[in-house]
Amino acid sequence: MSFNYRAIGAIFLFELSRSRRTLLQRLFSPVISTALYIIVFGAAVGSHIGDISGVQYGAYIVPGLVMLILLTQSVDHASFAIYFPRFTGTIYEILSAPVSYIELVIGYVGFAACKAVVLGLLILATAALFVPLRIAHPVWMLAFLALTAIAFSLLGFIIGLWADGFEKLQAIPTLVITPLTFLGGTFYSTSLLPPAWETVTRFNPIFYLISGLRWSFFEVADVGVGVSLSMTLLFLVLCLAVVWWMFKTGYRLKA
Amino acid sequence: MWNAVSFSRGLFGLRANPDYLSQVLKDLSLWDKRNNRIVTLSGGMKRRLMIAKALAHEPSILFLDEPTAGVDVELRKDMWEILRGLRAKGVTIILTTHYIEEAENLADRVCVINRGEILLVEEKTELMSKLGKKQMRLHLHDKLSEIPGTLSNYPLTLDADGRELVFTYDSQSEHAGIKALLDDLSASGVAFTDLSTNKSSLEEIFVDLVRR
Repeated sequence: MSFNYRAIGAIFLFELSRSRRTLLQRLFSPVISTALYIIVFGAAVGSHIGDISGVQYGAYIVPGLVMLILLTQSVDHASFAIYFPRFTGTIYEILSAPVSYIELVIGYVGFAACKAVVLGLLILATAALFVPLRIAHPVWMLAFLALTAIAFSLLGFIIGLWADGFEKLQAIPTLVITPLTFLGGTFYSTSLLPPAWETVTRFNPIFYLISGLRWSFFEVADVGVGVSLSMTLLFLVLCLAVVWWMFKTGYRLKA
Repeated sequence: MWNAVSFSRGLFGLRANPDYLSQVLKDLSLWDKRNNRIVTLSGGMKRRLMIAKALAHEPSILFLDEPTAGVDVELRKDMWEILRGLRAKGVTIILTTHYIEEAENLADRVCVINRGEILLVEEKTELMSKLGKKQMRLHLHDKLSEIPGTLSNYPLTLDADGRELVFTYDSQSEHAGIKALLDDLSASGVAFTDLSTNKSSLEEIFVDLVRR
């Protein structure tokens, strides 16, 4: 059968109508929390912290905050989008329809990634109201946003397939992703850490994402942009491989 | 609900067709609720929504697994109408049911499954004439205490306290022996005031088959 692009459209529309129901809460809560971060850390605390690598502290944390929202929203939306049909049993309609796994992944992961990028840009616009921002490499910035959103939407999709209860669905974002984002240099340059901890940070994949995104803004980064990009792509490929394996074996789908 | 139905259509790669979907929802008496969320629907509506979702992609074969189980009588009759309409349009419907009345009402062909084994697959009318029995009831003028010896060759039973004589015959055989029986009855002096015949329903045939 030819490529079922209408099915992808149907999944997009369905997810869009699902998101619309919680639109206000989905849009405003990240915007408000970002504004709070910027006011508290950027303005209040930041006024006592000098510039980092020549960048004002309030502006320095913006890429990290965008990344924080991007990661949590990607994972949240994608994991729930595939978990909920499994929970209610409507997954069988999707599995019995002439929709290939590739189309399924493009539909669900694509929508979650798009939504996360839109939210990320919204956060950026909010931040621009509070701190002076300059974006040195807008194309690279969009590329980092898109790649990260896709990779973490894939991760969310994997979590949504793996979870067999709402607790597990919530556990990974709260217990893994948020801490890793905070420890990955959202609010600081890892070069400020003691050398031992700086080495530990190198094992945190999110560190490379934040560093890469920060470079696209200020041309200031903890590691080279090439390393950041390679790590982002590596993570993306890893997630794709896991999704491919899950569909190939029917893991938690055809039990 | 509208989103759910459109989603089903889209999954099958079909172009959006609001007119067709509106008609499906109207046929299933769901049109008024098209903007409701699914959780707000009653059980019967949810069931009809499932059928609407199944019809959304204009299938040529429709599998329905006990669609009318736990549905009120009126709704069941409505659903039968819808199914007849679909059949008239050329949709092949495979329906499983525990209500034999439903199969008798709707089916062209009947398959009986007992303990996971197919007992038979047969045209319904053929099945009913082949396995069905016919009965003729004679309401007698005078009460009988026993069947007269001259009629002992016929498969007769007495019913209603001796006021009715029941003749069971095979509707398949051309010569069921009704005429001979009636002749012999008048020769024996047994008079009757009324006569009725009935044939066994698919349900009786079904019970018979499964008990064998």
